[in-house]
Amino acid sequence: MSKPAPNPSRSDDARPSGAGADLLRIVRINEEIKSVVSVAFKINIMAMNAIFLAKRAGNAALGFGVLSNELRVFSHNLRASMEALTKLIHRSVTEVSVLLQDQRFNRLLDSTASQCGDHPRLKKVMDARQRDAELHNEKLSALRRELRLAIESAFQLVELGGVLAKSAKIEAAYGQNFAASLTQVSGEFDGIVEEIRVSLESLRKSAFFSRSSA
Amino acid sequence: MKSTQTIFQDGNHKWVAIVRDPARPSSLIDTNEYLVCNNGEGMLLDPGGVEIFPAVFSALANEFDPSALVSLFASHQDPDIISSLALWLEFNPKMHCYVSWLWSSFIPHFGGTSETFVSIPDEGMEIPLSGLILQAVPAHYLHSSGNFHLYDKFAKTLFSGDVGAALLPAGTDSLFVENFDAHIRHSEGFHRRWMGSNEAKRRWCERVAQMEIDMLCPQHGAIYRGPDVERFINWFDELQVGILRS
Repeated sequence: MSKPAPNPSRSDDARPSGAGADLLRIVRINEEIKSVVSVAFKINIMAMNAIFLAKRAGNAALGFGVLSNELRVFSHNLRASMEALTKLIHRSVTEVSVLLQDQRFNRLLDSTASQCGDHPRLKKVMDARQRDAELHNEKLSALRRELRLAIESAFQLVELGGVLAKSAKIEAAYGQNFAASLTQVSGEFDGIVEEIRVSLESLRKSAFFSRSSA
Repeated sequence: MKSTQTIFQDGNHKWVAIVRDPARPSSLIDTNEYLVCNNGEGMLLDPGGVEIFPAVFSALANEFDPSALVSLFASHQDPDIISSLALWLEFNPKMHCYVSWLWSSFIPHFGGTSETFVSIPDEGMEIPLSGLILQAVPAHYLHSSGNFHLYDKFAKTLFSGDVGAALLPAGTDSLFVENFDAHIRHSEGFHRRWMGSNEAKRRWCERVAQMEIDMLCPQHGAIYRGPDVERFINWFDELQVGILRS
């Protein structure tokens, strides 16, 4: 049996909407968070290097030493924050997937109702599905709020990391013979924190959060 | 919406064919569903794909209370056979689905729980329907490796899944085969390609030739009745299958 070839061009009508669009958005958020998590891991190693460097520099880098310890604490906190975000994302993906499946079944049941009219059993099934869908929508709305708050607090944490990195850059200048290497380390740190900040900034603006319900 | 036609009735015992949906998208192969009812309980044979559920349900609801469906029979695992399973279970979560043991852990991907499925052993089994005993008849490798047909010896009717199927051209809407020679041309390519084993085909022909069959009801195309049943079995017996035409 020959099948018609699929149309390779995708019209606007073919773009997913509702739960489908939410699923795509949340997948993008997940990808962004995955990249932030890998950067956060890098920060931890950088903070360790900065601590060793400060120890070698001794009295010449006392301030830098204090800051590099703070940056290490920051990298731990950032990882914990990203792990919490990842868990929330996984729960959200599950809820949106259920809604996507519901959407398809509801479309088929709506089409059934339009063909066979008021069938009492069909009405019962559709009512039950409607109640389930409302529950899922409520759950997703709650997750959406939780996720937005988690991203917001991760963003504030990263802002603090940025301040620490900039202070480390200033302290590096007083590192006498170690100033060049301390400046390089603190500069890299600042660059990475800025990279995370930009990622989180874009997550805050995701259209996923502009919907009050799914 | 599909239309329904009662093809056998004896008191409360009835076979209803659910066929021909004029609104069916051309990308979907046309399918026939069959409802067997006895004493107010129903079994739906190859209930169809999820996309045609509205058409099948609404046609069935005209004839029969869908909540009185107690079981489904899936000849094999294909999506046009049973991908609507989850939607049917919405109407009766206790419904059983009879299926080859081979597919009993594959089909649950379409829906259902461990309580839903009744595994049919390779040799077949008797399936009760409110006092009526139906027989699951082995038809392995025709075309699926775990494949069953369903025989109702009281109605002398064999639901034959993909065996006997025909890809009919548009406008050929007759429920029954009217001219065997003209009809069978639309079956030949299908059987050569979809049926994978000459040995399996020979065994099936020998098995069903022993049965009393007034109607042979495929999942696609038209129903064979009367002498056309034997004509079909003989034709199929002669056909070389499992061939990819270049």
